Amino acid sequence: MSFRRGQKVEIFRKSEDESWADYMNEYIGLHGIITDPDTSINDPEDLVEVSLEGKGTHRLPQDCMRPLD
Amino acid sequence: MAKQSCPVNTTIVFLEEAISTGRFKIPKTRRIASEVMELMKDLAWGRGGEEHVPALESRAAELCASASDQDAKKAAEKVRTNIDEYREVFVSHAETHNCASGDCIKLAPAPCQMTCPAGIDVPTYITLIGMGRDAEAIEVIRRDNPFPWICGLVCTRPCEFMCVRARIDTPVSIKFLKAFAAERAMSEGKYVNPPKEADKGKNICVVGAGPGGLSCAYYLALKGYGVRVIESLPTAGGMTLVGIPRYRLPREVIDREVTMLEELGVDFHFNTRFGSDVSMADLKSEGFAAFFFAIGAHKAYQLNLPGEKEFPVTDAIDLLKRVALGDHHRPGKKVVVIGGGNVAIDAARSCLRLGCEEVTLAYRRTRNEMPADEEEVEHAEEEGVHFSFLTVPTEVLGTEGKIRGLRCLRAELVKREGSDRMSPVPVEGSDYIMDVDVVIAAIGQQVDTSCMADLSDLKWTRRNTIDVNMVSMESSEPGIFAAGDAVTGPATVIEAIGGGKRAAEAIHRWLSGIPQPKMPPVPVRRSRIESLEVPATTKMILRRPEMGFLNIDRRRTTFQQAELGYTENEIREEARRCLRCDICRRCGECVEVCRDKMKIDALQLGYLDFDHPVETDFRRTEDRCITCGACAHNCPNGAMKMEDRDGERILSLCGTVLNRQKLLHCESCGAIMGPRRYVEYIRKRIDPVGLRIDQRMICDTCLRKKTAGSSAETVRP
Repeated sequence: MSFRRGQKVEIFRKSEDESWADYMNEYIGLHGIITDPDTSINDPEDLVEVSLEGKGTHRLPQDCMRPLD
Repeated sequence: MAKQSCPVNTTIVFLEEAISTGRFKIPKTRRIASEVMELMKDLAWGRGGEEHVPALESRAAELCASASDQDAKKAAEKVRTNIDEYREVFVSHAETHNCASGDCIKLAPAPCQMTCPAGIDVPTYITLIGMGRDAEAIEVIRRDNPFPWICGLVCTRPCEFMCVRARIDTPVSIKFLKAFAAERAMSEGKYVNPPKEADKGKNICVVGAGPGGLSCAYYLALKGYGVRVIESLPTAGGMTLVGIPRYRLPREVIDREVTMLEELGVDFHFNTRFGSDVSMADLKSEGFAAFFFAIGAHKAYQLNLPGEKEFPVTDAIDLLKRVALGDHHRPGKKVVVIGGGNVAIDAARSCLRLGCEEVTLAYRRTRNEMPADEEEVEHAEEEGVHFSFLTVPTEVLGTEGKIRGLRCLRAELVKREGSDRMSPVPVEGSDYIMDVDVVIAAIGQQVDTSCMADLSDLKWTRRNTIDVNMVSMESSEPGIFAAGDAVTGPATVIEAIGGGKRAAEAIHRWLSGIPQPKMPPVPVRRSRIESLEVPATTKMILRRPEMGFLNIDRRRTTFQQAELGYTENEIREEARRCLRCDICRRCGECVEVCRDKMKIDALQLGYLDFDHPVETDFRRTEDRCITCGACAHNCPNGAMKMEDRDGERILSLCGTVLNRQKLLHCESCGAIMGPRRYVEYIRKRIDPVGLRIDQRMICDTCLRKKTAGSSAETVRP
């Protein structure tokens, strides 16, 4: 799944990625906006920056998100 | 839509219902429940202090003890459990006057602030800049970001991306307003450090003087810790110094902001490389209480092409570093930069300035997929950088140790099975040779782990970054914290600054024995400053100013700062475009009550709808509004206001004057009756309480009196 800047996404499940931490379980179900899809090399494995409703801005693995539009 | 609700708000709603439905039957229990409610409302309205949560806990315990029957006990227990379970959130409401969920509506940060990785209170400082209070604006910014001037010039500005004003026309120029305020405050000598806390008698070593390391050093120094920063380069700045060219960020800007850290007593050791000039054992023997690593991601990825090892392929980061440190030799005549990120653009634009005759940027996808900032791409094009999209390099060609060309293939984008990602696939037989004598690789960077061999217990991620707990920034080794690109991989300056700030707080907690938070912090509102008063017409017609640039010849030939900035007038006007989303939460109550209840429909505020914004026109209100005040009365956050001032009734939304009507006074007693349009609206809908006398404007009270008087006269014999 690739994301573009400004895309609305939902955190719909736990990620399989090692960067997923327990506290991120609270983000499941939240909606957000992608603010930095990929910093350098268009890597589908890259962590992307997402501004989450009510939770600030975080880098999350891509497999926990799905686009809303 | 699943939404995280605020436990403070949830408890208030629960308790309110419990009280109103009579679950607390004994007067004493009802009184205590009301006291609990008052305390919680204080928290929800930003009036709470440090004594509020303990008081709340003791009152909740009293409530449980005083409850007589099962129903009351159950309700009281529920209140107490909520407070216990979410104590951190209650404390955060009291300490920070902040409700990240937005349920406690007065305390929710604006979208721009929520999006900033450092959580800067944007609306507050924008308003201060609009008022001309630049030094105060800088003071607000530096509570979350010690480098407003640097960020004002190079930030990737996620805040502007989320700016609500963009739903009307264009986002507020937040980034450059910050740069202006920093420059002005610095020039006037008003850019000062806040007072330091008392000396804590502990020293912390920060490895790396990039934005993450410097940010951590700043906040630790303010907390009263002794801080030493060790840096392998001869000066501070890290990637901002050696990765961002001077035409975007003059070195003096970095130097001036770093000097502010020196003023706080931060001790810099330059030309000192961790792992070779100084070891972990050396530093530990000096008694540092904690360590913070922000070593960045300075090692370039290799192209892995045939010929790369035989011929001198340059890596972009190395070129930018050499240029930043003063080596301005032309690398060659015909240059190709391989990559599509900001580093590739910076390398290409730098090559033009070094005198290269032809600079081409080769990227394997199309312009739409380029990760580089769109503005930077445009600037590169203006300056004469050629773009070769859908180009896949296959071999570096050369003779006698010199590059003679780059063999490339044309590519096309295709969708691969199981992926919606368009991938470049070479077109058979499309190969050609690009005539170049310099090849620069800019396909990304990674963390150079070689200097960290000392730390054998330090865990690394599969992305080759330091594995830390992203809440506390603590690594697998106790007392060692990390942030910045070394943790996130190559990211943005503002993310590194946010990480450094978080790490400073975590180090302080670790050294003080305070438990680390369970969740990453959310941005904190610093104040609720009054809005700037702006007429509706001005609010609509003000446009984001065009940035002035150095002339194109000088941009192609020198490293002078390319952006010339805005004039002071443009800055103050630009600040007035801010919609103050920290106050107006865009709930749409005002529009609904005006349209559906009052049937007036005077508010054309299309921007309130996030998903489907339609036209906004603040000017329309004046044509239709009767100044009834229903919108202001129903606004949950005091964003919509109506007041009588200087003989007028004024309706404003976060300072934007939507309507201004002359007030009428009773011709008999002089009482205010409201504007003519309002009086006529009311009189059309209800029967007058008395007779109208000669069409004069008489208030209802006087009309009653006069009617009563005339009736009495009629019946009197």
